[in-house]
Amino acid sequence: MSIFEYNGSALVAMVGKNCFAIASDRRLGVQLQTIATDFQRIHKIHDKLYIGLSGLATDVQTLYQRLVFRHKLYQLREERDMKPETFASVVSAILYEKRFGPYLCQPVIAGLGDDDKPFICTMDSIGAKELAKDFVVAGTAAESLYGACESMYKPDMESDELFETVSQALLASVDRDCLSGWGGHVFVVTPTEVIEKTLKGRMD
Amino acid sequence: MKLDTSGLESFTPFHGGGNDLCGGFSSVPSFELPSSTNFDDFQKKAMQMVKPAKGTTTLAFIFKEGVMVAADSRASMGGYISSQSVKKIIEINPYMLGTMAGGAADCQFWHRNLGIKCRLHELANKRRISVTGASKLLANILYSYRGMGLSVGTMIAGWDETGPGLYYVDSEGGRLKGTRFSVGSGSPYAYGVLDNGYRYDMSIEEAAELARRSIYHATFRDGASGGVASVYYVGPDGWKKLSGDDVGELHYKYYPVVPSSVEQEMTEVATS
Repeated sequence: MSIFEYNGSALVAMVGKNCFAIASDRRLGVQLQTIATDFQRIHKIHDKLYIGLSGLATDVQTLYQRLVFRHKLYQLREERDMKPETFASVVSAILYEKRFGPYLCQPVIAGLGDDDKPFICTMDSIGAKELAKDFVVAGTAAESLYGACESMYKPDMESDELFETVSQALLASVDRDCLSGWGGHVFVVTPTEVIEKTLKGRMD
Repeated sequence: MKLDTSGLESFTPFHGGGNDLCGGFSSVPSFELPSSTNFDDFQKKAMQMVKPAKGTTTLAFIFKEGVMVAADSRASMGGYISSQSVKKIIEINPYMLGTMAGGAADCQFWHRNLGIKCRLHELANKRRISVTGASKLLANILYSYRGMGLSVGTMIAGWDETGPGLYYVDSEGGRLKGTRFSVGSGSPYAYGVLDNGYRYDMSIEEAAELARRSIYHATFRDGASGGVASVYYVGPDGWKKLSGDDVGELHYKYYPVVPSSVEQEMTEVATS
């Protein structure tokens, strides 16, 4: 198994009508053995910007700490939050800095930009940005997620329908992957509120 | 006049004249080797292809009332789950069961072959074959294919004249008699629960619950085990399937969701 499959992960972000959803699984494993079922992969950068990191768990944690540090400095200097597009460029630059010894992570960034327009993007481990208008996926269950999202996605969904869609896509995909699953964690972010939910999934 | 025993011969194209020494058992079934320039490399690749497939959990134990056999039902290819509904407990005949761990094709084929041999033994000797005999037949066949890339980790469980019998047989040629076995990538987790809860004098329900719980715990911790936990019981009248519980539902039965109190207050999102 490759190093990206050492810990196992599943991440998906989807765009709705003036809102977005970002969801992950909760398993932390060491190859086939499950160590924890409450590992947090999605982190808040600011109220309208979330980043999910898939891949090697140690790099997930370290990269998140570095990004939070960069954002806090930015907030002190500019006296405002970073826009999601800007943040995506920062992440891309930080990843490319380590071009010949990369962080073994694939980030999924989701945020509300100007006029609360939802923004999602994903990157490979050396910072190649991939913007999408509908959904982005990452992790060991990525191929299953592509299939599930492609069939379940509709444009301009409201927040509760978006929550349902993202949850079903995530649970269906991780049920086909040995290395991810054991529950789910979903954030649905609208201009006025953040809904955080834990999903009851198959624990095998 | 020599009786025509060609019907008892297995599907070998050739068999030597030393059959009398073997007591009627013909030479080992074989097939032609594939032609390749580098046979050792081919063997190694064949073994590597099958190796990851030992992702499974199976267990069996002998107790006062008979033998309890249990297994999960997941088939995985590396990280991908190819099926959640594989039958890993193979019914060799109405009073003997075999478990599947390793290459699915290998296990299915050789268990069926063993079933054929057991039936032929019954017809030739007018009595059922013992579990000892059946497991020895399988072990000898697997030993003759040693090093050729078969991947079989099986337990033969049954009830014969001497009572309950349980043997572990694998594709390296090993054969062990025992009272408690677990095979597969999830076996360490299953052993933990099984060894802790095992007593010789359990009732059938208690033993079934122990087997079910052991499989459940293995599916929770092992990524390559999951699906449905099947439990079979082998008694003096043969085997009987006791239960097949979906492991996803078993989790919430053993550990029901307790609504937790809200720890974080809802805060107003700053609107700019």
